[in-house]
Amino acid sequence: MRRSRLNENLTALAFLSPFVLIFALFLAYPLFYSFFLSLNKVTVLVNVFDNLTFVGIQNFVDLFRDGVFGWSLLMTLYYAALIVPLGIGASLLLAVLLNNKLKLHSLFRTAFFLPYVLDLFVVGIVWTYIYSPHFGILTRVFEFFGISYFSETGFLGRAESAMPAVVMVNVLKGAGFGMILYLAALQNIPQSIYEAAEVDGANWWQKLIRITMPLLRPVTLFMVIVGVVAALNSFVEVYAMTAGGPSVQVGDRTYQATWVSGYYLFDTFYVKLRLGYAAAMSYVLLAIAVAVSLANLRLLRPKTDY
Amino acid sequence: MSGESKAAAIIRSVVIYTLITVAAIVVLFPFAWMILTAFKVPGTEFDLELMPRHPTIENFKRVFTEFGFLRYFMNSSIVAVSAALFATLFASLAAYAFSFKNFILKEKVFAIIIASMMVPGLMYVVPQFAIIKKLGWMNTYRAMVIPHLANVFGLFLLRQYMASIPRSLVDAAKIDGASDIQIYGRIVVPLSLPIIATLFLLTFQFHWSNFLWQLIVTNKESLYTVPVGLAMFKQQHEQLYTLKMAASAVSIVPISVIFVFAQRYFIEGVTKGAVKE
Repeated sequence: MRRSRLNENLTALAFLSPFVLIFALFLAYPLFYSFFLSLNKVTVLVNVFDNLTFVGIQNFVDLFRDGVFGWSLLMTLYYAALIVPLGIGASLLLAVLLNNKLKLHSLFRTAFFLPYVLDLFVVGIVWTYIYSPHFGILTRVFEFFGISYFSETGFLGRAESAMPAVVMVNVLKGAGFGMILYLAALQNIPQSIYEAAEVDGANWWQKLIRITMPLLRPVTLFMVIVGVVAALNSFVEVYAMTAGGPSVQVGDRTYQATWVSGYYLFDTFYVKLRLGYAAAMSYVLLAIAVAVSLANLRLLRPKTDY
Repeated sequence: MSGESKAAAIIRSVVIYTLITVAAIVVLFPFAWMILTAFKVPGTEFDLELMPRHPTIENFKRVFTEFGFLRYFMNSSIVAVSAALFATLFASLAAYAFSFKNFILKEKVFAIIIASMMVPGLMYVVPQFAIIKKLGWMNTYRAMVIPHLANVFGLFLLRQYMASIPRSLVDAAKIDGASDIQIYGRIVVPLSLPIIATLFLLTFQFHWSNFLWQLIVTNKESLYTVPVGLAMFKQQHEQLYTLKMAASAVSIVPISVIFVFAQRYFIEGVTKGAVKE
């Protein structure tokens, strides 16, 4: 009997080992290693490990005083504040439209979902071309309607339009994802609930507000998290379209209009080669992500069982 | 039936079809515009015309002959296929252990692995990069693939699916003297094929488009994947719009083709992933 218990454990270990080894080395260990790096100053990237200087919590102190980091968090928040409502709105609209008996139903669904699986970098390049000054097709459409505000700069060249333009790209690319979730939720609502409501004299609006929206709540909360995570992870679209710019004057200081935290992290670590500082930054971002996830769990749990 | 309600139904469907067509145009226009531009003669890409007046495939030819996109395609294929293959294999092996074996600390280990899903991907870039440096793996396929072979979401997806396989089936095989590897290979994997296909496609898609990681672990042109090659091309030839669009258009072909034929697996992955407890 004891032999078979041992055997069971060993077999399990054999099946687990490839996954667990990679997990340990590349997903678990990095969290600790990153913490170690964040307490050091890394001067030369060529040979990272011979050039560590222990600085304690200096990186975190510097981060706290770093106005650019504060700005990048603010821009990340701005990104989230745009993508959450726009993403939910676009997804819900597509789902509600598709939730009708339509000819070509699956063709429309494919069309809306396809951009979600395509490469964000490529999509960013295409939109840069569409947004470009003078000849960009969107710039021209605006000119056609008599708006020449963007003619000289394009949409990515103006501080006030750059961030919404970048976010819009991600909204349109990702709308198919939310649409699938909302569609599944809509189709799960039993028709009998609506029929019962109709018997009680509920009108179209009351059915939407009292039945549909509450039943979609779990998906909506999930979409909020997806939006916040997209903001925290935003890098590729910024890299492809604006490289953090354009400049924006705030008081007597100059900042960059799409300088989100993900882009600042990349810049610190890959361009400026400050690994320790970037590691500290990662930790602050991780703390934010975990706080958001936990808040989500709290919000989701009691409300999901109808 | 009154004529009025019939009219209302017609109006309703006209409104719905109009809206949905407009939405489809908005969502797909960028891709159409990219493809149309890719067929235009260089220098005419900003002319006000929707269709190319003299369509040419010259741009596509040049992308592959004058620039290294053939090589980038090969690299992307190697990276995406091997990553998808091994990530799926490892996740399915681990999911088998979690589903059908009893071992110490099972649920604790599982909880720790799942908890790592909270960590945003960007957070891993700095330490993983340092580890790759330390291992001396810079500019290798290993560096591009191996760090991503523990697919936590995939493990979650597969374990959830395997829970629906009747235990009696596995127990009966055991009584007949089948080994674990036989049960895994002959019963569990065949029964889990739909979800395994889903995971394979999702990881393939992820690695085909993975940009940041491939950018930082390679600086040799011969190892560029398609997105990295595109980024470098964009930097050096900002003005070659038609070529840029041709390269972009070609780069989305593999995923688009796979998607059209295997759409339900992608959709499966999205819906299963969202309803995690």
